[in-house]
Amino acid sequence: MLLPKFYYHEPATLEEALRLLSEMGGAARILAGGTDVLVRMKLKIDKPSHLISLQKIPGIDVIIQRENHGVTIGAAVTAAELSTNELILERFAPIGIAASRLGAPGIRNRATIGGNLVNARPAADLSPACMALDATLKLKSAKNEREVRVNDFFRGPGETLIEPNEMLVSIFVETPPPWSGGAYIKLGARKALEISMVNVAVLLTLQSQDGPIADVKIALGAVAPTPVRAFAAEEFLVGKQPSSELFKEAGAIGVGMCEPITDHRGTMEYRCLMIETLTSRALNQAYNNAINWKPLPV
Amino acid sequence: MKRIIKLTINGKPVETAVSPNQTLLQFLRDDMNLTGTKHGCGLGDCGACTVILDGKAVNSCLVLAIQADNSEILTIEGLAQDGKLHPIQQSFVDKGAIQCGFCTPGMILSAKALLDQKPNPSELEIRTALSGNLCRCTGYQKIVEAIGEAAEVIRMREES
Repeated sequence: MLLPKFYYHEPATLEEALRLLSEMGGAARILAGGTDVLVRMKLKIDKPSHLISLQKIPGIDVIIQRENHGVTIGAAVTAAELSTNELILERFAPIGIAASRLGAPGIRNRATIGGNLVNARPAADLSPACMALDATLKLKSAKNEREVRVNDFFRGPGETLIEPNEMLVSIFVETPPPWSGGAYIKLGARKALEISMVNVAVLLTLQSQDGPIADVKIALGAVAPTPVRAFAAEEFLVGKQPSSELFKEAGAIGVGMCEPITDHRGTMEYRCLMIETLTSRALNQAYNNAINWKPLPV
Repeated sequence: MKRIIKLTINGKPVETAVSPNQTLLQFLRDDMNLTGTKHGCGLGDCGACTVILDGKAVNSCLVLAIQADNSEILTIEGLAQDGKLHPIQQSFVDKGAIQCGFCTPGMILSAKALLDQKPNPSELEIRTALSGNLCRCTGYQKIVEAIGEAAEVIRMREES
C-alpha cells in the first residue's frame, strides 16, 4: 500500500515544531509513532500535505517523576515504555496495563500515548485509563499554552478540543493517595491486535486498608461516541464498605451511562451485559490492589 | 524532495537518498533488494514486514525510511553468519515451523527481539511476542516450540 506524497519536516526543537504547525494549520499532521496517521494516509482517510516529525525533539519522549506528587509523561512516550516502566505499573497501573494491551509488540514499540489520546477513537486503550486517573493534558501552540482535563478533552469519534495549531506535549497524572488500587480490562474477540468491544479502567481509593471507599473513578471505552466516566456508579460507591455485592450493583448502575452501538464486533445487548460484568470485575481487581498498597521503596 | 539518510543495515553502513513517502519496507525491498522482508497487509496488522530497528521489533510498513536515519536495522538477511543459519532459523527448519514461509521472516525477527531481551522466555511470553505476526497456514504451535528450542540452544551455546 502506497503513501501519497507529502512534505516532511523534522524540527529540532518544540518551538520550531509549533511554529510549523501554526504556519500550516490544518494541512499538517504530527508524526509520532505513525501507527495511526500513516494507516489513515494509506487508506486515504486523511490527506495531510505536511508531516511534522517529533523524532528529533528532545525530552518529548520521557517519563518524569514529580517528587511524590505525580508524573509527567511526554506525549511521544511509547506504549512499550509505559507498559514496562516500574513507576507507571506500580502507581498508575491502569495506564501501564492499557498500554500493554494496545495493538501488538511491533505496534507498541512505535505507538505513543499522545497519538492514542489525540486520535480520540472511542475504543482507544489509553483514553479510559487516563480518565480514571484524572490526567491533565498540556496543549501548546506557538503563542499559547493551556491545560485541559482529559475528562473534558474528547468531543466525538476522532474529535477533541485540540485546535489545528495546537499540539499535545505532555500528560500529567497526580499520584493516587495511599490505599489506592487500579485496574484495566479490555474485552475483544482475541487477545492481541484487537479493537476493544468494551474496555474499563478503574481507580479505587480506600480510607484505610479495611476502611470504606474514599474515592473511585470508573471510565468506560467503546460504549459511547467518546470514552465516558460512570459518575452515577462512582457516587453510589463512595462512602460504602467495599464488597463483591456492592461492586455488582455498581456495574449495573454503570450501564446506565452508556449508549453502545451494534456493529460487527458485538451487539448493543451484549455490550451492555459486558459493561456490567467488566465494571464489577475491574472494581474487584482494583480493590484487591488497593488493600495491597505499599509505599514505594526509597 | 529526496533526502539523504545514513543507517546501518545488517551491519553494513548505507548512505542513500529516499523520498519522504517511502516506507522503510519499500526502501528495504525496492532500493536495497532485501526482499526477505515481506509486504503483507501494509497496515500494521499482519507482521510480515517485521524488522528490528535499534533493537526493537517494528512493522516496517508503518515506519518512513526517512525516520530510520541514523538507526541500525536488522532484517532476515542479516541473521545467518558465514553461511550458517541462526539458531532460531535452524530450529524453525528442524521443528517444521514453516509452511508457505511468507510469515516466517517476521516471526523469526519478532522471536529474535524477544530472545535478545529475555533469553529464557515462558510460553506466554513467546506467544505475546508473536501476537502481532499472523500465520494463515496455521502453524503457531510448531513456531512456539521452535522458539523455545532455539532459546535453549542459544543459552547452551553461551554457557559453553
